[in-house]
Amino acid sequence: MIDLVGGVPLYILEFGDELVYLTPYTITLFLLALTFTVLALISQPEKQIDIAFGGDAYRAKEISVDEMRFRRFMAIACGLATMGAMVTGDIFNFTLFTAMVGITNVGIVAAVKSPHVQDAAYQYGLVALAATVPLFAGAAVYAAVTGSLSMIELMKGTVPAVPLIAKGMLMLGVIGEGMAPFYAAKAEMFRAPGAPYVIMCSLSSLLIFLRVVEIIMLG
Amino acid sequence: MTSRSSGTDMIAELLIATFFGLLLLGIHRKIIARIQRRPGPPIWQEILHMLKFSFKTTWIPKTASPVLFVGVVLIAIGIWTAAFYVLISGGSLLVIFGIYMLHKIVEHGFGLSSGSPYSKYGGVRSVISAASELPLFVSVAVIAVYTRSLDLSAIMYYQQVHGPLLIIAFPAACAMFIVILSKMPFGPFSIVEAKELVSGYKTEHFGIWRAGLEICNGLKTYVLIAVFLAVFIGPLSLPWLLVGMILMIVILAFACAVTPMMSPFDSVTIQMLVTALMLVYAAIVLMVVQP
Repeated sequence: MIDLVGGVPLYILEFGDELVYLTPYTITLFLLALTFTVLALISQPEKQIDIAFGGDAYRAKEISVDEMRFRRFMAIACGLATMGAMVTGDIFNFTLFTAMVGITNVGIVAAVKSPHVQDAAYQYGLVALAATVPLFAGAAVYAAVTGSLSMIELMKGTVPAVPLIAKGMLMLGVIGEGMAPFYAAKAEMFRAPGAPYVIMCSLSSLLIFLRVVEIIMLG
Repeated sequence: MTSRSSGTDMIAELLIATFFGLLLLGIHRKIIARIQRRPGPPIWQEILHMLKFSFKTTWIPKTASPVLFVGVVLIAIGIWTAAFYVLISGGSLLVIFGIYMLHKIVEHGFGLSSGSPYSKYGGVRSVISAASELPLFVSVAVIAVYTRSLDLSAIMYYQQVHGPLLIIAFPAACAMFIVILSKMPFGPFSIVEAKELVSGYKTEHFGIWRAGLEICNGLKTYVLIAVFLAVFIGPLSLPWLLVGMILMIVILAFACAVTPMMSPFDSVTIQMLVTALMLVYAAIVLMVVQP
């Protein structure tokens, strides 16, 4: 139906079963993921201020070096998974990268010593875990119906049309990784200090959502 | 020589768009004030704000994450500059709306980077209000079903042949209007800048960083309104485009002036309801236009 959703592919790399392609759309998303990953790599965390309502008391939250190292590692892993999801031309790889984003999002806040944040991360983890069922099922239906997981083949229109249910499952799986209306637990995770790392949680979900919009319009 | 002059033209266009966007925001403030029986600031107040902040003392808070604090300002200007060039080159609508959604992350970055609780809550509210973006993508899907393309140039050509999409896909235009409304200051969905949060996510950004944020806001306003006109009215000559943009800002100002700011819960609930209605509409369009 609609060809060239994200613009004309500028570069296609076929590497065995792996497929990477770049369009103006995917390049834009990839560069954003790269920029924020570099920011997570080079930024020091902020000292988040907590105020006591009804009084003048306030205190700054400090992040220990060990905690910072672990969270920075998870933030970079999240950035790499997001970048992979932006440029891959294979639907199964996309679902793998999406699942990895969910895991690293939990990891980014897992080291924070706050019961609210830990609870939120646990609840988010459950939702993200459940969301992988429609996510991978959607990819399986894509493969079963079209016989291919290549987005380029879907773009060419040489394979049978993808049923709406497969697109719906893929979208539901991505939304479950942290988009509305399943992001309530994620919002609580943002209580955690360490802005450069926490931002990767929201950025990764948003970029994955933007990519899946392109994918479901193919084929 | 040619590339240099075209590069100069592009920078000139960018500057004009930024200043005109700031002027639109000034008109927006003035109209709201007059409706509420206040004199209001002059319409060039937002331009003065930007110039004033450019020459004020600049600092980075002691509690901030310095690289992120400065980096998000540059990213904010960068993404809207990219959106502007996609718009004038008739590129993919999906890229512009992707950038629109990424603005949420920039707001989040602004909010979290300083360490201030006020800006942090502004940033968190920004992420929570991401529900407002979902009607946008339903609108995009509906437009794609009608025009079979997401290129702005192709969408405008479609309208030259078939008439404005404002008539053909009126509910999609309404949904996109709500999306733009959610980005306007003093509007019903402006929960990220509510007064209980001082200035929300931008509370701690002062001096040149705030001037950068003002530039971003001017460019964003210009791009969003110009995209709306391009997608739902079609190609317009420059005078008509400017008239159309002023008309749009007047309508937006009336909507902002007569509606109170909602609570975060109500804001998200209404946006989700709009999304549900748009999904039903998109399903109907899909069945009728492309059975």
